[in-house]
Amino acid sequence: MSADPQANRLLKGAAFAVLAFLVLPSLIVVPISFGDTHEMVFPPPSLSLDLYRQYFGDPQWLAATWLSVRVAIWTTLISLLLGIPAAYGLVRGRFPGKRLVAMFLLSPIMVPSVVIALGLYIYFVRIGLSHGELRLVLGLTVVTMPFVIVTATAGLQNVDPNLEKAATVMGAGPFTVLFRVTLPLLKPAIVGGSLFAFLMSFDEVVIAWFITRAGYETLPIKMFSSIQWEISPVLAAVSSLLMLFSVVVCVLVVVTRRNEPQQ
Amino acid sequence: MVKVQLNDVEKRYGPTVALAPTNLSVTEGEFLTLLGPSGSGKTTLLNIVSGMTEPTGGEVWIDGVDVTNVPSAKRGLGMVFQSYALMPHMTIFQNIAFPLQIRGLPREEIRRKVEDVLELVQLPHVAGRKPKELSGGQQQRIALARCIVYDPSIILMDEPLGALDKKLREQMQLEIKRLQVQLGITMLYVTHDQEEAMTMSDRIILMNNGSAEQIGTPNELYFQPNSSFVADFIGQSNLLDATVAGEDRVRLVNGEIITVRHDAPLSHGQSVKVLLRPEVLHLREIDAGGNRLDATIRGSVISGSTVKHFLELDGGTSVLVEELSNGTNAAPAPGDRVTISWSVGQARVLPA
Repeated sequence: MSADPQANRLLKGAAFAVLAFLVLPSLIVVPISFGDTHEMVFPPPSLSLDLYRQYFGDPQWLAATWLSVRVAIWTTLISLLLGIPAAYGLVRGRFPGKRLVAMFLLSPIMVPSVVIALGLYIYFVRIGLSHGELRLVLGLTVVTMPFVIVTATAGLQNVDPNLEKAATVMGAGPFTVLFRVTLPLLKPAIVGGSLFAFLMSFDEVVIAWFITRAGYETLPIKMFSSIQWEISPVLAAVSSLLMLFSVVVCVLVVVTRRNEPQQ
Repeated sequence: MVKVQLNDVEKRYGPTVALAPTNLSVTEGEFLTLLGPSGSGKTTLLNIVSGMTEPTGGEVWIDGVDVTNVPSAKRGLGMVFQSYALMPHMTIFQNIAFPLQIRGLPREEIRRKVEDVLELVQLPHVAGRKPKELSGGQQQRIALARCIVYDPSIILMDEPLGALDKKLREQMQLEIKRLQVQLGITMLYVTHDQEEAMTMSDRIILMNNGSAEQIGTPNELYFQPNSSFVADFIGQSNLLDATVAGEDRVRLVNGEIITVRHDAPLSHGQSVKVLLRPEVLHLREIDAGGNRLDATIRGSVISGSTVKHFLELDGGTSVLVEELSNGTNAAPAPGDRVTISWSVGQARVLPA
């Protein structure tokens, strides 16, 4: 680091400029959300909680929120159930083509969402899967699972294989090793991975919009369509709540990382 | 009673031989060390006993049972790793209780056993701490306690002191040896440190290139090595090239003839190596029956309790002489002519 105070000030200024560029566009909705119910303007002419009342009083908004929560929970659970064993195989396993398998498992991160969305849409129509919520859960799992695999892989690489060997030599069977050694040590990675998976699923709009059916509007879809048709100021309240939720999740991730013993 | 018996176990990876067919038996209460340079097969041998490596041939018997096809978890072994392998998410108490819980012991008995073993390794006050709050030496004692507590038929230790500094390592060697003797533990120990092996072992297996070079007590390996590899690996040694010149006489490359001791019969003209330990050599002439050689001093170093003299025999061969230092050793200067001598029987002939 430079000891020159002037250079230091300049560096700090640049850092704050970047930060402002990144977060101000999101933060501007917060004051608007406390404005009145007629139009979105900044700064708001008067302050009130009307928009929040409107959101919590509208069964359609609440239904969309609840659907998003349900889908995100299922998506996260399935991602964990499939992603953790996959990560274990990728880290501890020795088999030919391991790198290729890893690439395939992580490919949904790299393939454009629209492509995945279109593919899923055609596929679901072809196999005749018409259950709206199931379509959402399966479709969104495709994009959330890679994140669980990435975090679980990183976590497992930090777990000394000798710990598992030691437990085995002491007489522990594979399940005891898994539940008393490996998984407890993976806990921070699992918690982090599932929070991210939950957020990803909750946020997803492109894939959800493609594969959903009438009557299955997730929160982002509902927001998207209300921008298209009415530009209702209640969006500002919903956005602010979503932002608050994301911040809480991020703080949770940081806190769980810090509390766990580093090996 | 034989605790572990290996019959012709071997391990190959394709054409590569990691361990040539090896026979071995460890008796109850014995401290047996696998010693050798890295890649000599000692860890492969240990892993075959532990069940983590499957041998490509031969049988492993533990407590009179053929366990060749029995998984690690069912062999009833204890193992101590160089990295300690204590569970970072458990307290010391929970770590030591873990193998007892696996065995389904009642809670009260577990508590008593853990407390007893913590007393035994002289760390009763750390029960509530996490492993990372302990020093390396303490963690290693806990790792050993975690084995002792469930009384396995044999404890395997894989370079357990490799991560500790020299002073602590020497302290731990004595500590481990004390516990092993006191509790009658059967121990199979892997190290590449010959001093460590000499200090602790009842018997040593010196491994080289995937097979056992020599098996014997530390004394036998030091004083009766059967190859120049053993002589060179254990302790310091002068190995002089020579040819057999008579019943118990050999001719050195510079033409001098010396008297030697040997186990195998020698044939005239055969090429051999003569082993002279640095500490059996003297810089002055001793009793008349001894052998003597003329040499030139090239340098001397005092390393505390001993003085090392680097000499050159007439003919160019280098020789190391080590004497106890007493502060009054006449310090020869480089270039001084000296006579080195040794008692008859101290020079040992090894196959070239």
